Amino acid sequence: MTNSSAVAVTGLGVVTSIGTGRQKFWDAVLDGRCGFGPVKSFDTGDYRVHVGAEISDFCADDYVLELQSASIGRTSQLAIAASRLALQDGFLDLSSVDRSRVGVYVGTTSGEPHCIERFDERYVQGRMDEVGAEFLNGYPCHVVPFHIAHELDLAGEAMMIPTACAAGNYAIAHACDLLGHGKADYMLAGGADSFSRITYTGFARLGAIAPELCQPFDRNRKGMIPGEGAAILLLEPTTQAVARGARIYCEIAGYGLSCDAHHMTAAHPAGEGAARAIRLALQRSGLEASDVDYISAHGTGTLTNDRLETIAVKKALGSHAYNVPISSVKSMLGHTMGAASAIEAAVCALAIAYGRIPPTMHWRDRDSECDLDYVANTARNHEVRVAMNNAYAFGGNNSSLILTTCACSAA
Amino acid sequence: MKKRVVITGVGLVSCLGTSSALFHRQLCEATDSAGRTEEHDPQAARTPLPGRISCFEPELYLKGRSLRQIDRTGQLLASAARMALENSGWTAEALTRNDVGLVLGTMFGSMHTISEFDRRCLVDGPACVSPMNFANTVINSAASQTAIWHNLRGMNSTTSTGATSGLVAIGYAADLIRCGWQTAVLAGGADEFCFEASYGLERAGLSCKAGPEEECFTPFDSQRSGIRLAEAGALLVLEDGDSALHRGATVLGEIRGHANAYDPKWNRPGHGAGGIIRTMGGALKDARLSPREIDCISAGANGSVAGDRNEGLAIKTVFNGCSAKVPITAIKSGIGETLGAAGALQAIDLLETMCSGRLPGIAGLDQVDAELVDLNLCFEPTCVDVNSGLISSVGFDGHACSLIISKPEAQG
Repeated sequence: MTNSSAVAVTGLGVVTSIGTGRQKFWDAVLDGRCGFGPVKSFDTGDYRVHVGAEISDFCADDYVLELQSASIGRTSQLAIAASRLALQDGFLDLSSVDRSRVGVYVGTTSGEPHCIERFDERYVQGRMDEVGAEFLNGYPCHVVPFHIAHELDLAGEAMMIPTACAAGNYAIAHACDLLGHGKADYMLAGGADSFSRITYTGFARLGAIAPELCQPFDRNRKGMIPGEGAAILLLEPTTQAVARGARIYCEIAGYGLSCDAHHMTAAHPAGEGAARAIRLALQRSGLEASDVDYISAHGTGTLTNDRLETIAVKKALGSHAYNVPISSVKSMLGHTMGAASAIEAAVCALAIAYGRIPPTMHWRDRDSECDLDYVANTARNHEVRVAMNNAYAFGGNNSSLILTTCACSAA
Repeated sequence: MKKRVVITGVGLVSCLGTSSALFHRQLCEATDSAGRTEEHDPQAARTPLPGRISCFEPELYLKGRSLRQIDRTGQLLASAARMALENSGWTAEALTRNDVGLVLGTMFGSMHTISEFDRRCLVDGPACVSPMNFANTVINSAASQTAIWHNLRGMNSTTSTGATSGLVAIGYAADLIRCGWQTAVLAGGADEFCFEASYGLERAGLSCKAGPEEECFTPFDSQRSGIRLAEAGALLVLEDGDSALHRGATVLGEIRGHANAYDPKWNRPGHGAGGIIRTMGGALKDARLSPREIDCISAGANGSVAGDRNEGLAIKTVFNGCSAKVPITAIKSGIGETLGAAGALQAIDLLETMCSGRLPGIAGLDQVDAELVDLNLCFEPTCVDVNSGLISSVGFDGHACSLIISKPEAQG
C-alpha cells in the first residue's frame, strides 16, 4: 500500500571532486578516494592554508548544450550537469512530460560567487566601466535554478533556497512538500556551490580549515576542507514512479528543520536545535529512534561540529545512537557547502539501494567526546532501511532528512 | 484536511514609514486629487522619492545588543519582525513556549556585506577580514540574525527567485502551515539599498532614465523607462487558523491560494506573459475562486517597459471578460522597487485596502500604455469592497508569482 503523498527518489545526478555521475561517485566513495589538493582557482600565497577540494576534470560543454556555457557561472554549470545526470539516471524523457509540471529547487551557500569576486576585483582596480549586464544577469543566486530550467526548458516552479551549508536538505524537503500538494509531477531538487575565494577566506579566518586532511570525529581533527560540487535528485510521487516502472532508490519519508536562535557561527552548546530537528524528522516520518539504520553526518571535521553533532545524535536517539553506523563523506569530498547535504542525500539513497555504507576516512584516534560508530576508513556491508541525513548551517539552522526503503521498489 | 492560513499581524520598514495604516494612507493621498480632509497631514502626503530610507532608526526596534553584528538587510528584517510580532500579540514569553518559524524572501540578501568583505580581503589581505562579517556573508544571514534577535526557533528558511522572492516566501510559509509543519511563521522579505545592487541594475539597463524630466518609473505609464530601486523590510505573521483562534489573535486576512512559475521562453518575442498567466490561473485554482470573485488586483508593475506590459496582458487574458472592471493598483511609483520586500508590502497594502475600503491609485500615472488602455487602472483612490484580492509579482528574468488574500469574514 503506497501513501498517496509519498515521494520517491528515482534519479541521482552527482558532480564531485572524486567522481561525476552516480556510479563513478559511488565507487569512489566506497573506495575512500579523496578530492583534496592545492587550491588552483586562486592564489593562496597570503593564506596559512592551501588545500581545497576542487573539481579538476569538469567540462561544462559536455552538459550545457542550450545556453552558452561561458555566459553562466560555474555553480550553474555544475548544477546543470547534475540535473542532466539525474534525468539520465532516472530514464526520464522530458519530451514525454508536461514541462509546466516539472520544477527545480536548488540550495546554495554562495550562489555564483565568481561574479561578485570579479565585480570586486574591478572595483579595487578602478575598472568599473567594464561591468556590464552580465553582473546582474549572472550573480543573484536565483539564476542557478533559472539556468537549469532554461537549459532544460522546464516551466514549473523554480526557486533557490540559499540556506547555507544545509541548503540541499531544505531544497529537497520543500520539493517533497510541493509534490505532496500535487503542484508538480517531477522535481529536480538538490544543491550546488562552486569553489569560492570569499568562502575560503572566511573559513580560513575562522581557523576552521584543516592544513592537509579532513578527519571527521577523529581526536586530532583539525578542521574542514572547502570544496565544490552539485547533486540533484529526481523526485516524483511514488505512485507515479511505480506506474511508469521507474527504478526507485528510496522514498523521502520526512524532514525536520529547526533554528537554534542562538549564535551566527556557534551551534547551541547542548545540541538542542539539532536534536529537535532529528526528533521532528522521525516523528513526521512515523518512525522511532530505534528504526534508524544509518546516519550520514554533517561531520565537517571541525572540533565543535563533530562534538556537538555527536551530542545531538545521542540526545535524540538515546542508547540506539551507539548501534547506528555514522559516516561523513566530507572526509573525502571536503565541505561542498550548499551542495553537501544534497550529495549526502544521494549517499543515503545509494546506501539504501545497495546495502553499503561509505567510510569516514582518515579516522585514526578515538575522541572521548566522539564515541559512536563512525565506520572508520573502510566501507561496510549493512542493510539500510532507514537513513538519516543531517546538515547544519551558520545561524544555527538545523536539518534532518529521513530516507527509507520503498515497499513498492522490491516488487 | 488542509489547514486554513490566516494573517494575524504585519510589520514594515519602508520609505513610507513603519505604520501599515500610514503607509496605506500615504499611497492613497499621493493620488488623491479631491479636496484634502481636515485630518490630512501635509507631511505625510508628500511621498519622498523612493531610495535608501533616510530616517530608519533600527535602535528603536532592536534593543539590548550591538547593532554592529547585523547588516542593514538584517536590521530592516529584524525591525519589521519586531513590529509584526508585537502587532500579532506574540510576546517574548510566548516565543519561548512555541517554535515560530521565519521564511525570508530576498533577491540580493547579504550582497553588500559579501562585497565589502571581499574588497577588504583584496586590498588588505585575508588576515585583515573580520570573521564576524564572514558569518553575515551567507545569503540567509538576515533570517538567521532575525531568529537570534527574536528567539524564533521554528523552521528558518530563505527563498530567492529575484524580485518575486517576497511573495514566494509568503506562499512557501503558507504551505508549511497548510501541511501542519508549523503553526506560526513570519514571512515576507527584505533587501537593502546598496551600491552593488544599484550599479548592477543600472548596467543591466533595468533602471529608469535619470534626470527630473525623463525619470519615470510609474507602473503602466507610456513614458516609463525602468525601475527605481528602493529598500524595505516587511513581514506578515501567518498562523494556522485554529491556533490563531485559540490564542485570541485578531485575524486580518486569509491566504487563499498562490502559485509561482518560471517561464523558460520569457525573453522570446510574444512569450513574456506566459508564466504570469499560469501563476494567476494557478493561484485562482489553488484558492478555488473564479476571476469574477477577485475584487481588486495589486500589480507588481514597477516601471519596467516589458514587465509591466506583460503583466497587464496577463491580467487581460486571465480576467477575460471582467478585466475592464476589476480595479488595479500598483504601489511601486510610491515606494520604489523594494525587491524581496515588495510582495509583503503589496500584501500589507491589500489588507489595509480590505479594512478601509479604499484602494490606492497609481501615483504619477498620466498616459496609460497604449496596449493596456482597456484595463481598469486606478488613477485615484477607489472605493471598493474587497473580499478577495490578487497580488501579482513579476521578476526581471522570467519568474512570476501570484497570491490571493481574502477578508476573514469571506469564509463561511
